[in-house]
Amino acid sequence: MSQVFLARADVRGALVGLVLGLALALGLPALPGVGAGLSLRTLTVCAIYALAAAGVGVLYGRLGLVSIMQIGLVAVGGWVTLRIYHATHLPFEVVMVLAALVTAVVGVLVGLPALRLSGLSLAIVTLMVAGALEVLVTYAGFPNGGDGFLGRASGGTLAAIMPRPALGQSDDDFFRYVGVAVVVVLALLRWLLMVRPGRTWAAIRQGEAGAVSLGVNTVAHRLFALAVTSAVTGVAGALLAASSGILDPASFKAQQSVLLFATVLIGGVFSLLGAVIGGLLFYGLPQLLSTVGVDGNLVFVVLGLGLVQAITTTQAGIAGQLGGLWRRLRQPRPRRPREVTA
Amino acid sequence: MNLLPFVVAGLVIGSVYALSGVGVLVLYRTTGVLNFAHGAVGGMAALLVWQMVELRMQPPVAIALGVAAGAAIALLFGLVAGPFLARVDQLRKAIATLGLALALLGLMLFVWNDKARTIRLESSRISFDVAGARVNVTQLVCLGLALLVVVGTLLALRYTSTGTSMRALASDRELAAVVGTNVRLVENTAWAISGAVAGVSGILLADQTRLEPAFLTFLIIPELAAVVIGRFVSLWLTLVGGLAVGVGQSLVSAWPTVSAFSTAVPFVVATIVILVAARRRVVTVRVVRT
Amino acid sequence: MSRLTLSGITVRYGGVTPLDDVSLAFESGVCGVIGPNGAGKTTTFNVLSGFALPVAGSVDLDGDDLLAVPAHRRARWGLRRSFQQEQVVRTLTARENVLLAAEHSGSPAADVDRALDYVGLDRPHRLGAELTMFERRLVDIASCVVGAPRLVLLDEPAAGLDPAESEQLLGLITRIPEEVGALVLLVDHDMDLVRAACGTVAVLDFGRRIAAGPTLQVLGSPEVRKAYLGIDEEVTA
Repeated sequence: MSQVFLARADVRGALVGLVLGLALALGLPALPGVGAGLSLRTLTVCAIYALAAAGVGVLYGRLGLVSIMQIGLVAVGGWVTLRIYHATHLPFEVVMVLAALVTAVVGVLVGLPALRLSGLSLAIVTLMVAGALEVLVTYAGFPNGGDGFLGRASGGTLAAIMPRPALGQSDDDFFRYVGVAVVVVLALLRWLLMVRPGRTWAAIRQGEAGAVSLGVNTVAHRLFALAVTSAVTGVAGALLAASSGILDPASFKAQQSVLLFATVLIGGVFSLLGAVIGGLLFYGLPQLLSTVGVDGNLVFVVLGLGLVQAITTTQAGIAGQLGGLWRRLRQPRPRRPREVTA
Repeated sequence: MNLLPFVVAGLVIGSVYALSGVGVLVLYRTTGVLNFAHGAVGGMAALLVWQMVELRMQPPVAIALGVAAGAAIALLFGLVAGPFLARVDQLRKAIATLGLALALLGLMLFVWNDKARTIRLESSRISFDVAGARVNVTQLVCLGLALLVVVGTLLALRYTSTGTSMRALASDRELAAVVGTNVRLVENTAWAISGAVAGVSGILLADQTRLEPAFLTFLIIPELAAVVIGRFVSLWLTLVGGLAVGVGQSLVSAWPTVSAFSTAVPFVVATIVILVAARRRVVTVRVVRT
Repeated sequence: MSRLTLSGITVRYGGVTPLDDVSLAFESGVCGVIGPNGAGKTTTFNVLSGFALPVAGSVDLDGDDLLAVPAHRRARWGLRRSFQQEQVVRTLTARENVLLAAEHSGSPAADVDRALDYVGLDRPHRLGAELTMFERRLVDIASCVVGAPRLVLLDEPAAGLDPAESEQLLGLITRIPEEVGALVLLVDHDMDLVRAACGTVAVLDFGRRIAAGPTLQVLGSPEVRKAYLGIDEEVTA
C-alpha cells in the first residue's frame, strides 16, 4: 500500500516540493549576493505573500471560488496579531495561531451568505469586502501598544513595535523562520488536498449535482475551504507583522487584492508552485522594477493584461507550463497519446 | 442635526451609481460579462477630460471626447477579448474584466500618478437653495440623467431593433443566433454603449467626489451593489438600489462615530439582498434535463 | 424485498409541469422507467435525488419518507445515482472516486475494493482523465454499489458505449440487487437493454404515467407502442 502511495505522481511531486522548499528556506540566506540586505528582505516578504497566494489558488483552482479580498484578510491577520501581542505579550507562535483562527472566522462570515448563491456573488461580495477593509484599516490603523480597542498610541505615548520571534531575530534567521513556516503551512495544505477534503473539493469543482448525489454537503465543504484558506492567509498577516513589528495601512489597498488574484492566476492555480510564483510576481516584481528605475505602476498594466490572457487561454499558468516542460525534458520522445474515444 | 443636505448629496451620488449600474446591467444582460472595469473606464474618461481641459481645450469638447474615449476603450476590449470570453463561463468572463480594471488603473497611475485632482464642471458653479440644502446644476443633471437613461434604455430595448436583439440575446443566446441575430454586432454595440455610460458617470463622479484613479476604479463597488439590488435584471430596481446605496453611505458618513464605516454600506446592502435572494431560491442545483 | 412508492408527485418549473400527479410503485429487482424525451424520467430521478422539489405528493421506501431527507443526506440514507453524463472526477484516481462515494455515504473504506472488484476495473490508480468512457461507466457503477445502498438510480448508464461494452454493463446492473440488496431503477432509451435488465417497467409520457407492469406485457400494449415505440423505431431506423 505504501509503495503504491509513493508511486503516485502527485505524492512524489509533493515530496520533491517539500524537500526543495526546505532546502531553499534554509540555504538561500547563505548564498553569496542574497544574504542580508534588501534582496533577502524582499524574498522574505515574497515568501509570506506566497501563503496568501496559496489561499487564492486553492479556492480558485480546487473549488472554482473567486475571492478578491485576500490582501484584506492579510491585514486582518496582521491587525489581530498586533492586537493580541500588545494585549498579552504571548509568544509569537501562539499569537500567530490565534490570528489564523480569527481570520478564518472572518473569512467564513463574509463568505457564508454569498456561497448559497452563484460563484459570481462570492466574487462581488469579496470585492466589496476588500474595499471596505481598505478603508477600515486606514481609519483604524494598526495597533502599536496604545490603549482602547484599536490599540493606537497617540499624543505623548511612544509607539511600541512587536519584536521578531525568538528564533528569527536577524534578517537571515527571520528568512529561515518564515521559509520553514511557509513550507510547513504549504505542506499541510498539500496534505489536505490529497485526503478527504481535497477529494471532496475536486468533486464539487467537477459538478455540483454529481457531488450532492455522492452525499457531499457542498455549502459546508465550501465554507471549510474558505476557513482553511483564510487561516493560511491569517498566518501570512502574522508573519508580515512580525517582519517589521508594525504595519502600514497603505500596503493593504483593495487593488492589491486584485493584483494578488492576477498574479496567482498567472502563476498557476493547480499547484502550490504557482502560489510561490504568484508571491514572487506580487511583491518581488514591483521591487525589481523599481530598482532598475521602471515605474512600479506598469506592473499593474502587465499583470492585468496577463490576467486577461491567463483566464481566456492558459488555465494552468506558468507553473503548469513549467510542469509540462519538466515532463518533456524527462521524456525526450513522448509516447504518442493513444486515441481514446470519448 | 439637519440631515437634508446629506440626503440630497446621497441622492445625487446614488443617481450616478444607478446611471453607471445601468451601463453594467445592459452589458451583462447582452454579453453575459459583468464588467468589473466599469469604474476604471469612467476614471480614464474623467482623467482624459481633465488633461484636455489642462491643455486649454473647450470643456464641452473635452467632455464629448472623454465620453467617446470611454466608449472606445470598452469597445476595443469587447472586440479583442470578446471572442475568447464567449467561450468561457460567466465567472471567468467577469474575472477577465478584473484584469482590464487592473491594467487601466496601472495606466492611469503611470500617466497621472495618484495625486487627487479636481474637475469642476461649469454647471457646478450655478447653485441654489432647496429647503436649506445647496444644490447645483450638475447635481440636477445627475438626477435627471439617471432617470432619463433608465427610461431611455427601457424604451430603446422595447422599440428599437438593436434593443430587441439585445433582449433576445439576454433570454437565449443560441436561439438568438439561430434566428439570425448578428450576435457580434449587438455585443459590440452593448460594449460601446456601456463604455459611454461609464465615461459619463466617471466624469460626473469625478466632479462630485474626487478625481483619483484608484478611488474612481473602485466606485465599481457601490455600482455593483446597485446592480445586485436590481437582481441583475431590473433597471428600475437598479435605479432604486443606486439611490439607496448613495443615501445610505451619505447618512452613515453624517455621524462622526460611524463615518468610517460608510464604505461598508454597499457590502452590507448587497449581503442582505443576497441573503434574501438565497431564501427564495431553494434549489440551486443545475441538472441536465432531457 | 423492498418497495418504493411514489404517490401523486407533481413538479412544476415556472409554467412547465414535467411531472403531473404521477404515482408509481416498484418492487425489488431492476425496474425500468421509460418514455420519450421530455416524458419526465429524469425529473422523476431528480425528485428521488432531491434536486427537484415536488409541489405535491410523497415518496416512500419501506416506510421511510424520502422527501423529508435533505438532498445531500440521501446518500447516507442509502440512495445512489449515476447521471446521463458520467460524473467521474477527472483529477482523482478511479479508486479515489469510489472512496469519495464511500466516505460521504458513511460506508467503510474497506468496501471500496469490493466495489472495484465487483465491476472488475483494473489499475484503479489511474486518474479519471485517463480512463476510457467504459471504464468511467464502471467507476460510476462501483460508486453506486459501495456500502449498503437501498435504492440505486441509473440514468442511461450505457450511453456512449459499444454493444459489447453495453452487454458487460448489463450483466453488472442485473446482479446489483443480489450483490447489495438494493432496488435498482433504470432509465434508458435502449429497449434491448431495458428488456434484458428489467422485470417491470413504468412508462411516462408528457409527465404522466401511461402504463406499468411486467416488461414484456407493457412493451406489447398498443398504447405504449403508439406513444413511445413508434418514436423509438424512427430514432433507431
